[in-house]
Amino acid sequence: MKLTFFMAICLLASTIGSAQHKYGSKTGTINFEASVPSFEEVKAVNENVSAILNTDNGEFASLALVKGFRFKVALMEEHFNENYIESSQFPKAIFKGKLQDFDFSEVSENASEYILKGTITIHGVTEPFETSVQIKKVNDAIELQTAFELKPETFNIKIPKIVSNKIANEVFVKAIYSLSN
Amino acid sequence: MKKKIVFLIVMLVLVVGAYTGYKYLYKDHRNITKEVAVVETSAAQLQEQFQNNAAEVLVNKTLTVTGMVTQIEGKSITIDDKVHCSFKSEVQGIEVGDEVHLKGRCIGYDDLFEIVKLDQSTLINTE
Repeated sequence: MKLTFFMAICLLASTIGSAQHKYGSKTGTINFEASVPSFEEVKAVNENVSAILNTDNGEFASLALVKGFRFKVALMEEHFNENYIESSQFPKAIFKGKLQDFDFSEVSENASEYILKGTITIHGVTEPFETSVQIKKVNDAIELQTAFELKPETFNIKIPKIVSNKIANEVFVKAIYSLSN
Repeated sequence: MKKKIVFLIVMLVLVVGAYTGYKYLYKDHRNITKEVAVVETSAAQLQEQFQNNAAEVLVNKTLTVTGMVTQIEGKSITIDDKVHCSFKSEVQGIEVGDEVHLKGRCIGYDDLFEIVKLDQSTLINTE
């Protein structure tokens, strides 16, 4: 009887213990912009991006459902999904990687910068990827922010010639996550 | 006189053309709230369907889902820990534990949290 009780406590403690080291969010925001001055803005936002950070070792993963990117112009959203990113065939954009030299005990209210290294998968193409991220504590949550540029051709996304002067060659991406326990 | 008629016809064609062109370029977004749902389901059923890889047909479609609210974060709620639904604005008038019936657009399955995601959700009723 005593032993079962002890084991139950151990089991409980271990589940609580393992659960504590993961911070996550289902409502991260990614926005990207590929606007060219004096043309219609090419800009979209996805406010339902998932992410998980393992605070023990700095492993970080993020998943954006491509259909969740919203544009101001409905036709642009349609073209983005059907012709460029082909979201029915490639529904997910995924990052998997690790924060370099991450130590959770060093995270404070003041933002500190880390290098995030890993792979990014968009449009079915997986590429090595590296960016710098700012991390800070906001109340009980960890706020993670990053900004970087990607090129459509890296991911085999072809922009037709007739519209190529209206879409920037470099897509500017910004991501922000408020990860909670 | 003849010239005047030709001119008027040309003008008419131009105006109609410009209008339809504009309407095509700047057509409205889908109104999920007004669309008729293709499937009425429960959170558990919907998740199971995605886990069995049998739900590709539901992506980008309007669905209604029922379940119990298990988490509320700002503009979104999670029901039965299986379906995550985001709204256009802060969710009000519901609490964790409430049974909800809502409509939204399915955007796919999230492997990280093992949940199905809906956006542009609206509550049909709360009990």
